[in-house]
Order: sequence, then structure tokens, then C-alpha cells
Amino acid sequence: MIQLIISLVVGLALAVSLYFFARRVKPSAEGSAQQLREARQTLDSLQFGLLPNDLVQRIFAREDLEYVLSAAPPDVQSLFLKDRKNIALAWVRRVRSAVLDLMRFHRGHARLHAQLSFSTESRLALNFARLLTACRLLQIALYLRGPYAAPGMVRTAAAAAGRVCLISENSLAFLNVKGIDPAENDPARHRA
Amino acid sequence: MKTLSQVIWLAGILVEFVILARAIQCKMFGKYSIFYSYVASVLGVSVFLYAAPQPLYNALYWPLDFVTMVLGCGVIVEISRHVFAQHISLDRFARWTAIVVFGSMFLVFAIHSFFFPHWKPAANPADLARDLRIAEAIALLTIVFLTGYYRIEIGKNMKGMILGFGVYVGTSIIMLTLRLFIGIRFSPIWKITEPSSYVAALIIWAVALWSYAPVPVVPAPPPDTDYQGLAGRTRRALGSIEEHLDRTP
Repeated sequence: MIQLIISLVVGLALAVSLYFFARRVKPSAEGSAQQLREARQTLDSLQFGLLPNDLVQRIFAREDLEYVLSAAPPDVQSLFLKDRKNIALAWVRRVRSAVLDLMRFHRGHARLHAQLSFSTESRLALNFARLLTACRLLQIALYLRGPYAAPGMVRTAAAAAGRVCLISENSLAFLNVKGIDPAENDPARHRA
Repeated sequence: MKTLSQVIWLAGILVEFVILARAIQCKMFGKYSIFYSYVASVLGVSVFLYAAPQPLYNALYWPLDFVTMVLGCGVIVEISRHVFAQHISLDRFARWTAIVVFGSMFLVFAIHSFFFPHWKPAANPADLARDLRIAEAIALLTIVFLTGYYRIEIGKNMKGMILGFGVYVGTSIIMLTLRLFIGIRFSPIWKITEPSSYVAALIIWAVALWSYAPVPVVPAPPPDTDYQGLAGRTRRALGSIEEHLDRTP
């Protein structure tokens, strides 16, 4: 029975991936200049587009909750929690889209290079996936239990982000190596 | 049912002739040598089996199928070589995946043969065929995943080769599995679907390989690209995400 399941899963996975492969849109033919311009914009938006840290701290500030719980009537309390939940969800969406942008940037950039460190790339992909999953779980937790119910989850997401940061640094280290023969990256040297 | 089976078989032979004739006409044989050798070998086997008397057909069907299947593994190597011609590391990874998958499969066979002397792979050729197809499918999946993940542009020839091979391998896996589990009752359906999927693959190949379309060249990064600056900005961007998440409760 296990054999049956494995075979059918592999067969179906192949069928599904071929469907998406056949429908895949041709990547932009505008060349690397356009890609790098987009990459720079992505990085700009990541650096300057995220909310200031004090504002993020304010979203999750426990003292606000304590003040509202002690001073405001129940309908104001529920309105406060609803608003904070929506803001927190919007913040996680923003972080998630930032991670996706960065992932897109990295992949788009890495593909221009003939030599990639596969172990670094796979670790990076794994950590991107972990961070995206953590963001998604955080979204679910915030949606179900509100903005003050998932501090552990946020810490997990932070730890994953830290790993992504470290591995990405290693991954991009090859870009910093001086004295690389520029012809090594010349696609004309490779056979089509 | 037998007439339909024969029509499919003959259609396959016809399309194989068309593919090979077109390859010779367009001088593409040398460019995709393993692929065309595979098609030529399948054509040879098909013609031989079509003309062979029933006892000979029964005796030689699976051995000849294995020969073409091994050549099919070579086609996957050729696909990887062309698709990742400008991405040495990815090509290496795809090849390693194929080696590991095929290696583990043969290791399992070796262990089985060693510990169970009565177990003979030749007694269950469909089992062996299905396992080989699964290994081919995993190697193909790796190539498809990597081209999608890094958005690698591939030419019409390679796209067709992957699609055609994928259709055939995917259908074979599902059909061989169902045949093994449902048993002899499934054989009439299998006898039609197996060659039909191969004819479908041949038609895809005929269309995709009608003319030579090399894998597009990856655009070189512009000479004024400040990689160090970009790398630094990426690190700072990642740092800002981390800081963001870290400063929350």
C-alpha cells in the first residue's frame, strides 16, 4: 500500500508540476539591467518601507492594553482589541511581503551567476520557507487570539529571520570576492 | 481493442520517423545526440516487436524496455546539461540528485538480491520498470523545480523535451502502479494508455523539436553593477526585518 501511495504521489506531483511548467510565463527579456533596477527598488522599499520600530512596539504594547482594560468600557475595549488585531495583521502581512521581495531579489540575482554554493542556497531557501511559515502561523495566531497572545511565535519568527540574515550574508559573500575573472560569468563562453 | 492498439503502435512509429527525419534535415542530431539515439532505439525496438512473433515478443518486451529506459535516463542527463548550460552548480545538483536516486534504487535491488536469494527482479519486470520510472520522475521534478525557482528561461526544444518526457514518465508510473495493484484486469487499459502516452510525448517532441531553438543566453550583469553595494544593502534589508520582528514582544 505504501508503494502504491508513493508511486501515485510521485506521478501526480509530476503531473501538477508539468502543468505549471507548461503554463509558466517567460521571464522578462529586458535583461539584467531591468532586473537589477527592480532589485534596487526592492531593497529600498525593504529598508525604508517597513514601519519604524517604535511604532511596531506600540502595536504590541501591553501598557496600552492594561490602560484600556482598566479605564475604558467593554465596547471600547473590544473596539481597541479589534483595531490592534487588524493593525498587527497588517504588520505581519507587510513583513511577509518584505521577505518575499527579498527572496525574489535573491533568486533573480543568484541566477545570473554560474557558480552557486548549493548548500548555502538550500539552507537559505529553507530559512526563507521557515520565516514565511512563521509569518503565516503568526497571522493565524493573531487572527484567532488577538495581538497579545503570540509572543513566543514572534520570537520564533525573529530567530528564523536571524538565521536567514546570517546565511544570506554567507550566500552573498561570493559577490565580494575580488579578482574573479569577469569572463567566467560571460554566458557567451558557455555552450547553449 | 487489438486494432486500436496496432493503430497507436503504428502512429508512434510514424511520428518517430518524422522526428528523426526532421533531426537529420535540420542537422539537430549532434545537438541532442542522446535524445535522438533514444528515439532511434525506441523506433528500432518498436519495429522489431511489431514484426516479432508472439513468443519472441513476450520474451523480449521487458528486456528491450529496460534498454530504452536506461537510454531515457541519459535523456534526463542531456536535458539537465542543456537547461543548466550556464548554471554549472545547478547542473551539478541535478546530476547528483539523479545519481543518488538511481544509486539508492540499485542499492535496494542489490540488498534484496543479497538477503532474499529467491527474489529475482526479472520475475517482476513491471516492478523494476515502475521503480526506474519513479527515479526518472524525481530527476525530472528536480530540473523543473530548479528552473522554476531560479526563473531560468529555457528554449522551446528543452521545454518540449521535458514536457513530452514528463507526460510519458508520469503516465507510466500511474499506469504501472495501478496495473500492479489491480492485476490482470487492468492489462487491457494499460496496453492502450501506455503506448498512447508515448505517442502523446512523441507529438509534443515533434512540435517542439521541429526547428532548432537553443537555450536563451542568460543576460550578463551590466559592467557598472556594484555587487558589494547590493550585497550590503541586502544584508541591511535582512537586518531590518530581523530587527522588526525582534523588537516586538
